Amino acid sequence: MNKKLDANYYSKLLELQQLDFALVELTLYLDTHPNDLQAIQQFNQLAQQRQQCAHQFEMQYGPLLQFGHSYSKYPWQWIETPWPWQV
Amino acid sequence: MMVNKQTRDWYPFVGPFDPCPPIYVKSYYVPPNQYIPFQPMGLQQFSLQEALRLGTLWPALYSPYESKCGKGAGNE
Repeated sequence: MNKKLDANYYSKLLELQQLDFALVELTLYLDTHPNDLQAIQQFNQLAQQRQQCAHQFEMQYGPLLQFGHSYSKYPWQWIETPWPWQV
Repeated sequence: MMVNKQTRDWYPFVGPFDPCPPIYVKSYYVPPNQYIPFQPMGLQQFSLQEALRLGTLWPALYSPYESKCGKGAGNE
C-alpha cells in the first residue's frame, strides 16, 4: 500500500531537526563551558522537548531509530516505506 | 567585537605581460570566530528555526560566506 505523507509529517520532522541541531550546538558549547548553568538548563529543557516530539512522531508515523531505540507497533514497522532517503 | 564586514581585500600585482585578464581585487573571508578567543557565556541566541537554517545558534558566530559565483570575474 502506498502511504501518502501529509504536511504534518514534514512539519514534525522539521521541528525534530531544529531541536536536534540546537542540542548538538549546546552539547559542543557545554563541552567547553561545563559550568554554564543557564545553558545546561536550556539543554535539559530541549532534550525533554525533543523526547516528547520524537515520541509523538513515532506514535503517529512509526519508529525513527532501530535496535531498541524506538518502539514498533504490530506488524513490524521498520521495513515499511518511506525510508529516510525517500522522504 | 562585532565585525559586520567579514571580508578583507588584497590587490594582486597587474603587469603588462599577464597571461590572463587582470583581477584587480581579491577578497577573502575572516569568520567571526577568529575575533572571539573564548566564547563568553550567555551570548544572545537565534530562535531554533533560524539556528537550523543559518547553521549556528549564536548570531555573533554567524558567517554567511556567500558564494561568489555569478558575480563576474572582476572581484573574484
